[in-house]
Amino acid sequence: MKLLLFTFFLSISSLLIKAQTHLKIKVLPILNNEPIVLNDATKDDVIITNLKFYLSSFSLTQNNGEVYIEENSYHLIDLSKPETVNIAFPLIENKTLENLTFLLGIDSVTNVSGVMGGDLDPTKGMYWAWNSGYINFKIEGTKNSIPFEFHLGGYAAPYQTAQKIEVDLKESEEMVLYLDLSDFLNKIDINTNNKVMSPGKTSQELSILLATLFYAK
Amino acid sequence: MRNKKNEILTLLFFFLLIGTALNIPSSSYFIIKYPDYFPKPLYDFNKNPLTPEGVELGRHLFYDPILSKDSSISCSNCHLSYTAFTHVDHKLSHGINDSIGTRNSPSLINLAWSELFMWDGAVNHLDVQALAPISHPAEMGESIENVVVKLQSTKRYPMLFQQVFNDSIITGEKLLKVISQFELTLVSQNSKYDSVMRKETVFNNQEQRGYKVFQNNCNSCHTEPLFTSYQFKNNGLAIDSILNDVGRYRITNNPNDSLKFKIPTLRNIEFSYPYMHDGRFKSISEVLKHYEKGILYSSTLANELKTPIGLTHEEKVDLTAFLLTLTDRDFLFNSNFSYPKTNNIEITEGYK
Repeated sequence: MKLLLFTFFLSISSLLIKAQTHLKIKVLPILNNEPIVLNDATKDDVIITNLKFYLSSFSLTQNNGEVYIEENSYHLIDLSKPETVNIAFPLIENKTLENLTFLLGIDSVTNVSGVMGGDLDPTKGMYWAWNSGYINFKIEGTKNSIPFEFHLGGYAAPYQTAQKIEVDLKESEEMVLYLDLSDFLNKIDINTNNKVMSPGKTSQELSILLATLFYAK
Repeated sequence: MRNKKNEILTLLFFFLLIGTALNIPSSSYFIIKYPDYFPKPLYDFNKNPLTPEGVELGRHLFYDPILSKDSSISCSNCHLSYTAFTHVDHKLSHGINDSIGTRNSPSLINLAWSELFMWDGAVNHLDVQALAPISHPAEMGESIENVVVKLQSTKRYPMLFQQVFNDSIITGEKLLKVISQFELTLVSQNSKYDSVMRKETVFNNQEQRGYKVFQNNCNSCHTEPLFTSYQFKNNGLAIDSILNDVGRYRITNNPNDSLKFKIPTLRNIEFSYPYMHDGRFKSISEVLKHYEKGILYSSTLANELKTPIGLTHEEKVDLTAFLLTLTDRDFLFNSNFSYPKTNNIEITEGYK
């Protein structure tokens, strides 16, 4: 009996060791080279009150060509919930990673598949009730005291907004995925363009811009 | 040796027990019945398998005003079972604080066959449809987040969700799925038309003549046997200058969709008045008059209506007789669809 239990625990623990996390990603939105802190009025001219976005469909390519595809890969990054900025991938074998691809936003098929749970639950505040579909990216705040609200999304042609993003990786078990929003807030003329709340051309253009602002270190 | 065998058996039994505990089906499945001349439903029942408990919980939620901000309005306020799940005698639907919406509530019939919902197709799946009226300020004026909080804080709803999902934690996903479960049972398939299709009876002469008129003039959009093609068309209504409703254009941003609305089913048309997206016509004869004399030409007008539908007086009477064969009393007066009996499952303080 003792032997049996011993073998049982040995096999369980070896499973646990094998499933150990090998890549941890910390998603870090920054503005003017500093991490964004919500409702921080001490900084310059921009105050961000809400920042939430979906990163989904993660896949990792290893140097031997093997690809790890995460199942049910939907992550809602919500700056008001610090635990959501950390994403971990349990890779079985410790191989060198070459690159990482993911979507900023939610793919079209998921958008037409009815109600989902977890990070996709409509109670997360990232779903449009009167024009079905996920809000991929939400940022709210003020710039020079002018309020802005950008709710970007849309899955239907010709205004699809989910953006595929690819970043090269250095051999590492931990990485920081930066999203530098300086360019986003600088390129938009807040006086004339401060509210997007539905799918369409502007939503698509701003999503394309956002996709260029991710980089890894 | 024998001891060891027993130990292994005990362990196996132990694992089996855990396995069963994690995976108890709440009960047998609830099967939607429909006749063989219906097409296959579009709804994917595998993703939301119907159970008797799930359907019953959905029914309670459908009739419970707890879904609205001030607990004054339930789904059934605008979708009454006895009138084909629409709001008779109201052109535009009413919401909380006596506010009035911009459209006539559509009837809820054979929803498993529909791909898009709302008059303009704003909603792309039945499961997410209820989010629209719950959140609309002129309907229920509530947020799904708060509905979940309110339900969780009742005594009974967590128990009812436990029965359906083996988990008393209520989520937006579970809430919307059980509402869908109830709505999916609203199948109309037992009108006189259906009995004729099943060769259980025959049309009388007038209905038979009306059926011919229907097939020649109406069937391309109100397609049998569901009596809609589920497409969006501009049927030549003059735009209401106050409501200024451009229909599907608002959703697609495509000018070719301007003034297009969803073709409604004609099933139970006798009970689903008033007609059109803004409820502007009170009677079938007003509708027929529109198709004969009222069509307003515009660039997106349906091809089918470019020549007005000219019917003789007799043809109109015959057509009307046929349309009345789409009345399904088993649907309208089905006790499984009406206000739930409180002795069946006890319900919340939201009930008034």
